[in-house]
Amino acid sequence: MVLGADASFLNPDKLLLLVVLVATCACIIASMVLARAGRVPKIRRIAGLEAVEEAVGRATEMGRPILFVPGIQDMDNPMTVAGITVLSRVAGTAAQYDATLDVPVSRSLVMQAARESVQAAALQAGQPDWFDPERVRYITDEQFGYAAYAAGAMARDKPAACFYMGCFFAESLILAENGNAVGAIQIAGTAETAQLPFFVASCDYTLIGEEFFAASAYLSGAPDQLGTLRGQDIAKALIALVLVGGVVMATVKVFTPKSDRAPTAEMAP
Amino acid sequence: MQKDPSRIKVVVATDCGSTTTKAILIECVDGVYRQTHRAEAPTTVEAPFADVTLGVSNSVTELQELSGRRLVNDDGTILRRTSPDAADGCDVYISTSSAGGGLQMMVAGVVKEMTAESAKRAALGAGAIVMDTIASNDRRRPHEQVQRIRELRPDMVLISGGTDGGDTKKVTELAELIAPAKPRPRFGGEYSLPIIFAGNRDARPAIERTFASGGFDLKVVDNLRPTLEREHLGPARETIHDVFLEHVMAHAPGYDRLIAWADAPIMPTPGAVGDILQAIAKGRGINVVGVDIGGATTDVFSVFDGSFNRTVSANLGMSYSISNVCAEAGMDNVLRWVHLDMDERELRNRVKNKMIRPTTIPQTHEALVFEQAVSREALRLAYVQHKAFATELKGVQQQRTVGDAFSQSEGGRSLVSGMKLDLLVASGGVLSHAPRMEQTAAMLIDAFEPEGFTELAKDSIFMMPHLGVLATVHERAAMEVFERDCLIMLGTCIAPAGTAVAGKPVMRWSAQWDGGSAEGTLMAQEMKLLRIGDRAQVEVTPERGFDVGAGPGVAVKREVRGGSVGLILDGRGRSLAVPSGAEGRRLVAAWAKALELHPD
Repeated sequence: MVLGADASFLNPDKLLLLVVLVATCACIIASMVLARAGRVPKIRRIAGLEAVEEAVGRATEMGRPILFVPGIQDMDNPMTVAGITVLSRVAGTAAQYDATLDVPVSRSLVMQAARESVQAAALQAGQPDWFDPERVRYITDEQFGYAAYAAGAMARDKPAACFYMGCFFAESLILAENGNAVGAIQIAGTAETAQLPFFVASCDYTLIGEEFFAASAYLSGAPDQLGTLRGQDIAKALIALVLVGGVVMATVKVFTPKSDRAPTAEMAP
Repeated sequence: MQKDPSRIKVVVATDCGSTTTKAILIECVDGVYRQTHRAEAPTTVEAPFADVTLGVSNSVTELQELSGRRLVNDDGTILRRTSPDAADGCDVYISTSSAGGGLQMMVAGVVKEMTAESAKRAALGAGAIVMDTIASNDRRRPHEQVQRIRELRPDMVLISGGTDGGDTKKVTELAELIAPAKPRPRFGGEYSLPIIFAGNRDARPAIERTFASGGFDLKVVDNLRPTLEREHLGPARETIHDVFLEHVMAHAPGYDRLIAWADAPIMPTPGAVGDILQAIAKGRGINVVGVDIGGATTDVFSVFDGSFNRTVSANLGMSYSISNVCAEAGMDNVLRWVHLDMDERELRNRVKNKMIRPTTIPQTHEALVFEQAVSREALRLAYVQHKAFATELKGVQQQRTVGDAFSQSEGGRSLVSGMKLDLLVASGGVLSHAPRMEQTAAMLIDAFEPEGFTELAKDSIFMMPHLGVLATVHERAAMEVFERDCLIMLGTCIAPAGTAVAGKPVMRWSAQWDGGSAEGTLMAQEMKLLRIGDRAQVEVTPERGFDVGAGPGVAVKREVRGGSVGLILDGRGRSLAVPSGAEGRRLVAAWAKALELHPD
């Protein structure tokens, strides 16, 4: 007996995913085109991002460093990528104010991305000499080893501002409580729902879930990015509508007497 | 030496303004201090007289003629009483001064929104005009900052920066910008420019070294921001006053003699106004906003929860700056307050004429309506600037709970709140000299948009500066004169905060006063004036979504003060929106009629 593969261009079982993908892309592209044409969506003020200058200013006045923790996951995690985006803004402001910025990282790849991001921000701020690669340094991949270092650094250097932007787990409260204890302004951002209550309670500002991912568009103010943001929101709203519609239909089906239903394949003799 | 307040029965006070020197006589009549006479004479600080005391003598001589009490010696000095029963002379002579442009300062701080802002607040609170604020993040290159410092000719410079134990590098860099730039003082080449350093105490040696090169008179005082959580303006303000007397006044023509005459330090006029408003707010436990609209500038003072702030809007005024008001507000915004048909081209000509002939006053009804429309916008813009400046301290930690997850407000919120405001005091030509008190009240309400219950008053003859300096020698006398003679009570405004929808009710109200009572329902976009005499008992029940101070929809019953206008019920909602076009004009005309602004 010969076994052969039955190649098919389209998997009918995944058709729904294709429809969702096309609809999402259509929303995003349409929104981008509209934004380019001048219909740029307005984004509400995000307190945590507006407070970046205040936090950096505090560090400048107090003559203390700024601590930026980009989470404990690698660059394949979208939260880490969003954290690096915020790092760019923080570094630009710190370079402009000539404040000291420390970025301990727990992954080598993140260190490289963070260094490039900080260097680019310093260049953009017109302060290339401000960038010191040694300030962006690798500590350890170990979760609690890294947390212990960060807590120790806080106790020693007493940073005036702490940023926690990325993916966090059990170390979140250790970091935030230590920052609070040394009197730092703290701004956190994560999409890890389990860690959000800890950050909200112990930080001055917290970027919650989507706010964190919107940071890039919010900070750049570029029409393309803002358009993308609106497109994503529309797509999410559509998906939510489909979900609600599906729930309603399923509920109606449950409460509809069987005799009223059309015969199905299983019911047919 | 300060006199015993119980022995002070007769006070002569002068305010040496740029154009006129105003003198008032305050006497203790039947145990109560009253302002009894007022006089004025041209200020004589400029050539050919070049002696400020001549104007002071002239104004006090006029006061002497009006009161029948001899107040000036043959040599022009102020006569003092020799005994408590003496019929001539005064017990105390005090003065304020804004002649020659007042006190002009440059301030510097490390971060614009933090120590530089505190330095600005200290300077403004002391009565200065802040010519520029230099900060390490003001987005100017060092050479641009040096250029700007060289261009300015301040009376003194205030430098702040770094918390105690904090930054020393940036604040020293600021000093290193200022020292070699060698800003020249306004008065005389031999005058050493006073530098007041109110920054990080650790930076003092470096600052002293930087300014040791000569040409500067460095004074070191306590840090304005010892920590970012605390602002400590007192020592810096006192030093500004001292330096103002020692350096600025001593170099102005005739001021050395005036300082010798006065029984209390001469204060900058706006500083004295701020002092009396603070004393009133403290004495009555209320929140106060004061405004003084002039030809070139508008000063706004506020005291909220004991926190004093002053701003000077340099380009908002009713003559020299009127063109800028129209440009900044936009002609459409000005014209929304005009209910008469007017030709816009003619109005633009009127604006320019006022600019080049600043002393003219409106000659026609249309000109008056237009001028008052401009004043509404000037006041509104000045108040917006004030609200942006009078904020909580920036850069401080926020206290959060999990409940704040979706309502994380930013730091640096404005201290100024329309709902918390208790008393609004107006002064300045267009407000003080409006033909009808109702017009003054309407201008205040339209520009400041007070919410809830707010008392409205005007300074009858711009007496607040005199009383500010009097408060430093005899606080009770200052308070009594302020309440009885300085303020003319216009009335009380009750304005529910909320969004007014045309045709819908805003609140139900009832009022009882001596000889009358009334009740009714206030509709959206409606205004109502009740002549209640001195006081009335009022009960208001706002509709759902409207607030008069106790919360949305919660009724309030209280006594309100009347005055020359009375009780004004404002159903226009907040924030105030005036529709454009014919509908807006119809509404403005209806409001003018309701408030009896132009009965003829």
